[in-house]
Amino acid sequence: MSKQLHDNICEEHLFSSIFNKYSKDLNNFLYYKFGDLLNPKDKVQEAFIKLWQNCAKISPDKAKSFVFTTANNLMLNEVAHQKVVLKHQQTKPKMHTNESPEFLMQENEYMEKLQNALANLTKPQREAFLMNRVEGKRFKEIAEILDISTKAVEKRIYGALKKLRLEIKEL
Amino acid sequence: MMNRETLISKWLDNNLNDQELQAFKNLEDYDDLVKLNDSLQAFKVDEYNTKQELESVLSAIKNPAIQPNKNGNNWLKPFMRIAAILAVCFSLYYYTTTLDTTISTEFAQKTTIELPDASSVSLNAKSTLAFNKKDWKQEREVELNGEAFFKVAKGSSFKVNTKSGTVTVYGTQFNVKQRDYYFEVICYEGLVGVTHNSHETKLKPGDSFLIIDGKIIAKEKENRSTPSWLNNESQFKSMPFKTVIAEFERQYHVDFSLINVDSTQLFTGSFAHDNLEMALKNITLPLQLTYTKENNTIILKRE
Repeated sequence: MSKQLHDNICEEHLFSSIFNKYSKDLNNFLYYKFGDLLNPKDKVQEAFIKLWQNCAKISPDKAKSFVFTTANNLMLNEVAHQKVVLKHQQTKPKMHTNESPEFLMQENEYMEKLQNALANLTKPQREAFLMNRVEGKRFKEIAEILDISTKAVEKRIYGALKKLRLEIKEL
Repeated sequence: MMNRETLISKWLDNNLNDQELQAFKNLEDYDDLVKLNDSLQAFKVDEYNTKQELESVLSAIKNPAIQPNKNGNNWLKPFMRIAAILAVCFSLYYYTTTLDTTISTEFAQKTTIELPDASSVSLNAKSTLAFNKKDWKQEREVELNGEAFFKVAKGSSFKVNTKSGTVTVYGTQFNVKQRDYYFEVICYEGLVGVTHNSHETKLKPGDSFLIIDGKIIAKEKENRSTPSWLNNESQFKSMPFKTVIAEFERQYHVDFSLINVDSTQLFTGSFAHDNLEMALKNITLPLQLTYTKENNTIILKRE
């Protein structure tokens, strides 16, 4: 194992570089896992503040898993049994301005179904699936973020896709 | 041709080559998948401005209330380590000191033990003595299984617990012999109380208390000052032959098999502990028996 330059992260520049490296992934992860209602951004802030408070006992290579675990726990504390709500942007760019009203209604219905189906996925399925589809991350990158195997990521994502399509068809 | 599942999986991982992409586009549900995929983009997370978020975290951690507890951990860890070691040491110490001290002798072995006060105990062969060093000051009490001779220093009462009864001592010298179906206490000096079936008998010097097979047997006065086994000799006066055989087995670590011999007949005599041939003669001649040896087994026969 290579010797580490720093054994803690109590220096602002070190802390900042860690923030730059992980905060976005963490925000995405929280959003796709828990939805929008619980303010993922706030949880990211809180988790990094906790990281700073405990900086003396956390080495740089442990920082990522610390903030992910902390933020996840902060969410879980609040989430109780609330239903996950992922809002789709209402200000969707109108690509089909000259479509018929009937078509627009069908589109709306489809989005509604999709939203419900996403909410019905398990948390692990949803976080992996949306990071893949929406953020365009590859299986390997997701595996690194979640600290699981690539195979497990593939299984979750494929499972999520199958479940979504089944639900959309049924409704 | 790749199967559907692999193709979709590769598509998900953005990992299709040209040929595979073509095959994927030919899937019947290609349109469905693309529509789903396009629609999903609407669920994209709000724009995340890393720089702005960092600034707000940095200003938050400048707040004096949120300072790293740098030394919070530094002293705690070594302290916990030391505490753990101390705890283990202490419990080990406590465990060993409250544990009974046990001393055992094997076949043909004798030993003398000094008890925590000036008292001493001599253990005969195949016997076990247990006592607790820690409680000794409050309670002089030993467990005995077998035969032992006690010289008890003056002090509070001294108790010998055996399976057959309890011997309470009021300072002095006495022998306790507790074997299968056999319990004997001989007092050599001072005063000894024997409790058997919750009835206490007091023994004066020379008195003895003997139970064989549950029956109390009267014995004449003992006029020696110490038990014979301390001088490597076992003496018997009108004892059932089986108790003689049992003692012999313990002293020489041999087995007896009796043919045509009445093991309840009484025997008077002695045998030494250091000469097997001689000892065998000592116990066979008076009863007109013959003996033959086979390995560790001695066969006794009536002539």
